[in-house]
Amino acid sequence: MRVRFFLVRFVLMLLVVGLAGSRAAWAHVGSKDVFEQVDAGPYRLYVTVRTPTVIPGVAAIEVRSSGAAVDAIRITPLPMTGEASKHPPTPDAMVRSVSDPAFFTGNLWMMAAGSWEVRFEVSGAGGEQVVSVPVPAVPLNTLKMQRRMGLTLGVLGLFLVISMAGIVAAAVREARLQPGAVASAERRRRAAIATAGSLVLMGLMVWGGAKWWNVEAASYSADIYRPLGVEPVLAGNQLDLKVTAYEPADDLRERRWRLNDDFLPDHGHLMHLYAIRQPEMDAVFHLHPVLAGAGDFRIALPAMPAGEYKLYGDVVHANGFPETLVASLTVPEGMAGGALSSDDAVGSPQPLSRGMLGSSYTLPDGYVMVWDKPETVTANTAYSLRFRLLDSEGEPAADMQPYLGMAGHAAFVKADGTVFAHTHPQGSAAMAAVMLANGDGSGATPMDMQMDMPMHAAPISNTVEFPYGFPASGRYRIFVQMKHGETVETGAFDVEVQ
Amino acid sequence: MASPAWSASQTGVLAKERAAAVGAAVPWYVWWGVLAVTSASIGGAWDVSWHRSIGRDTFWTPAHMAIYACGVIAAVICGYLIFATTFGRSAEMKSASVSVLGFRAPLGAFIAAWGGIAMLTSAPFDNWWHAAYGLDVKIVSPPHTLLILGIRGVAVGVLFLILAAMNRAAAEGGEAGERSFKALQRLFLYLGGLMVGGQMFFLMEYTWDVSLHSVSAYIAMAIGLPLFLALLSQASRYRWAATAAASVYTIFVIGEILILPLFPAQPKLGPVFFPVTHFVPAKFPILILVPALALDLLWQRTRDWKPWRIALASGIVFIAVLTVVEWPFASFLLSKASENRFFGTIYFDYNSRPDGIDRLRQFFRPSEGFALYFGLVRAAVYASIGTWVGLLFGRWMRSVQR
Repeated sequence: MRVRFFLVRFVLMLLVVGLAGSRAAWAHVGSKDVFEQVDAGPYRLYVTVRTPTVIPGVAAIEVRSSGAAVDAIRITPLPMTGEASKHPPTPDAMVRSVSDPAFFTGNLWMMAAGSWEVRFEVSGAGGEQVVSVPVPAVPLNTLKMQRRMGLTLGVLGLFLVISMAGIVAAAVREARLQPGAVASAERRRRAAIATAGSLVLMGLMVWGGAKWWNVEAASYSADIYRPLGVEPVLAGNQLDLKVTAYEPADDLRERRWRLNDDFLPDHGHLMHLYAIRQPEMDAVFHLHPVLAGAGDFRIALPAMPAGEYKLYGDVVHANGFPETLVASLTVPEGMAGGALSSDDAVGSPQPLSRGMLGSSYTLPDGYVMVWDKPETVTANTAYSLRFRLLDSEGEPAADMQPYLGMAGHAAFVKADGTVFAHTHPQGSAAMAAVMLANGDGSGATPMDMQMDMPMHAAPISNTVEFPYGFPASGRYRIFVQMKHGETVETGAFDVEVQ
Repeated sequence: MASPAWSASQTGVLAKERAAAVGAAVPWYVWWGVLAVTSASIGGAWDVSWHRSIGRDTFWTPAHMAIYACGVIAAVICGYLIFATTFGRSAEMKSASVSVLGFRAPLGAFIAAWGGIAMLTSAPFDNWWHAAYGLDVKIVSPPHTLLILGIRGVAVGVLFLILAAMNRAAAEGGEAGERSFKALQRLFLYLGGLMVGGQMFFLMEYTWDVSLHSVSAYIAMAIGLPLFLALLSQASRYRWAATAAASVYTIFVIGEILILPLFPAQPKLGPVFFPVTHFVPAKFPILILVPALALDLLWQRTRDWKPWRIALASGIVFIAVLTVVEWPFASFLLSKASENRFFGTIYFDYNSRPDGIDRLRQFFRPSEGFALYFGLVRAAVYASIGTWVGLLFGRWMRSVQR
C-alpha cells in the first residue's frame, strides 16, 4: 500500500538527475545479475536479468533470441516455490527493439526478497513455448542521500518551516480581526511569541522525524542480504564447515527460507567449494564437501600447498535460492592431504604478480585450453565467453567427457576478491534452481532433484561457451574446468575488464 | 469567545459578498476546495485498493489523477486568492486577509498553499526513499507522512476558508446570514468528516480488523480522533458535529466496500497468494460513530464545565464506548457471520499469505490482563489531552474572520 503521485515523477525529472548509482556492496560475492542461455522449444534465448539492489525494486530484463524467429515475448515474475508459485500475475509484454528485431527488453517489479523465477512465454515461428529463469532477489544496499538532493530537500523543508511560522504569526495576529481592522501592539507581541513557539515545535518535529528516519534506515539496513555465516574448522586435513541458519528477527514477516540443512543437490553435490590461495590465486581447488548433519559440511582435504585460502561454497536452498558462503582458511605447512576424488579438480596457474595470463593455457598433461577472447571486455556487458580444449597436437580434444554433468564449469574471480561467480554453459544461475524453475515447483523436493547427473547424452564438444557479464571493471582471473578421458583440466586466464 | 459585532462600514465592505450570499450563499472557491479534498479522499482510497488488487501502477492511474487533482485545484484557488488579494485592487478582499511573508490572502489560502508545497516536497523525497530503501509497501513512512501532512494542509486550509466565511455570516446575522451560515456549516461538517476519514486512513495499519483486540489500535485512535472531533464540534457550533463527521467517514467506507468490488482488477505483480479478481475495498469502518455520538451527548450537557473537566470526561467516555462497541464487533468481523459483501471480510490483498494472520482470521497479538487495562487507561489519557487541545483550538477557530 502506498500513495504515489504525479508530482513524484514530475519533480523527479526536474531535480533528480543522476541519483542512480549504488555502492558496490553486493552479495552473491559481487555478481548479482543473471546471465542465462535457455532453450524454449526451437527458440534460444540469451537472457540478462539485472536485479534491483533494493527490494521491492525493478529488475531490467534483456533477451537476445536466436534459433526460430521470435515474434513476441511475455514475462511474468513469480516465486519459485510455495503457494504464490501457483498464482502467476498477469504477464507483461517485452518491447522489441526497432533496429534489432531479435532483441527484447522489459522491466519487472520484484516485490519481496526471495527465490524468484521469470517466466518467458515465447511466441513465433515455432509456436508458443514457455521457459523460466531463476532470479534470486535480495536487498543488497541502501543509498546515502546525495548532496544535491539533500540541498534541494533542505531548502524546501526550510521554506516549509519558515512559511508555517509566518502562517502561525498571521493566524495569531490577524485571523480573528474584523475585516479591515488593524492588529494591536498586544496582538503583534503575541504573534511574535507564537512564531517563536511554532519554530520550537517544528524544530522538535523535524528532530523527531530525523530520529524516525534513522530507525527506518536501520531497519532497512538490517534486512540487507548477508550470506549464511560459515566457520571453517580444520583438524589435520579434515575440514568442517559450520553453517549458521538465517534467523529473521520477525518470523511472521519473513518466512524462514535460508536454513542450514535445506540444500538441493546441484550437479549431484550439495556444495561446490572453491578454495583459492590468496593473494596470488596460484592454487585453486574445486571440492565437494558432504553434509554430515544440519549445518555441518565435511571434507578430507587433498594435499594443498600451505597458505591462506579464500573459500567460496556454492549451495542451493530448497526454494531454489543460491548462495555463496565465504570463509578464509589457513592451510598449515606439511598438512597431510588425501587423494583428490574423481569429481574434484585442481589447478596451479602462475601467481597474479607474475603478470597477465594469456588466452592460451598449457595444461600439465600437454593439452591446451584456448580462450577466444574478445578484443576488449567491458563491465556490465553480457558476453558468451568461448573456450576450447585442444590436445597436445593442437587438434580439438577428441575424448571429451561431461564434468559434473556439464561440458564445463567456470569461475570468475576478481583479483581483489570482491567478485566470485561459479557458472556453467547455461549461465550464471544454479542448475538446481533452473530445473526447479522449469519443473513443477510446488511438488519438487530435494529427493526429486537427484536426476541432474548425466545431462548430456549427446557427445560433448571440445568448445564451451559461458554466458556472463563482469559486474565491475578491474582484473579478473577465470578458472575453466573441462574433462577429457579421466582427466579434469583446470585452465586459467586473466582479463582486464574496462 | 463571542464574535465581535460588525460596524456599519465593515458590513458595507462585504456588501458584495453578502449579496452573493442571498443567492449562492457559499463563495465559489469554497466549493472548489471541498471538491479538491473530496477528490483526494476518493483517490487515496482508490489508490490503496489499486495497490492491494493490481499492485503495479503507472503515474496515470485514475486514482493518482484524483489525488493530484486536489493539489491542482488547491494551487489554482490559492494562487488566485493570494495574487488577487495581494496585487488586486479589491479593498474588500484585502480587508478580510492576513499577511504572510509579504503576501496577502485569507488565512485558509496560505494554509492550503503550504499543504501543496509540502506535497511537492514529499515527491522527490519519496522517490529518493524508494531508490534508497526499496519501494515502501506501507503508508506510514517519513515521506508519506509529509505527503499526507500536505494533503491535510490543503484540507485544513479549505476548512479555514469555510470557517472565515461562516463566522462572518454568523456575525452578520439576519436571514441571509443564517442561510449562508447553514450552507457553510454543512460543508464544514462534510469536510470535517473527510478529515476524520483521513485520520482513519492514516491509522489503517494499526486498526486492521485483526488488530482490534490489541491495545495499540485504541491508543492510535485515542491520539488521532478526539482532537478532531472536539475541534469540529467547537468550530462548527453544531450539536451533533462529531456524529455528523463520523457518519461521513462511515458512509464513505461502506460505500467503498459496496462499490469497489464491482469493478474487475487482476494482480500485475507477484507474489500472488490470493487470486484477486476485483478491486479490494477497505476493511469495514471502525464503529467510531457510537463514541462520537456519546461525545456529542456529553458535550451538550457539559457546556458550563471547564475545558479540562470536559476533556477528562471525554477521554474516558471515548475510550470506554469505543472499546465496549468495537471489541465484540471485531470478534464478529473475524467470524463466519461477517463473510459477506456488506461487512467485506471476504476480500484480501493479492499478496496476503494463506498462513498469514489476516487470511487465518485470527487476532494479531491480542492484549490482555494488565497490559490491556493499563493500555486503555493510557489511551484515555491521550484522548483527554487530544480533546483538550481540540476544544481550545476549536474555540479559537470560532472567531476566525479572515
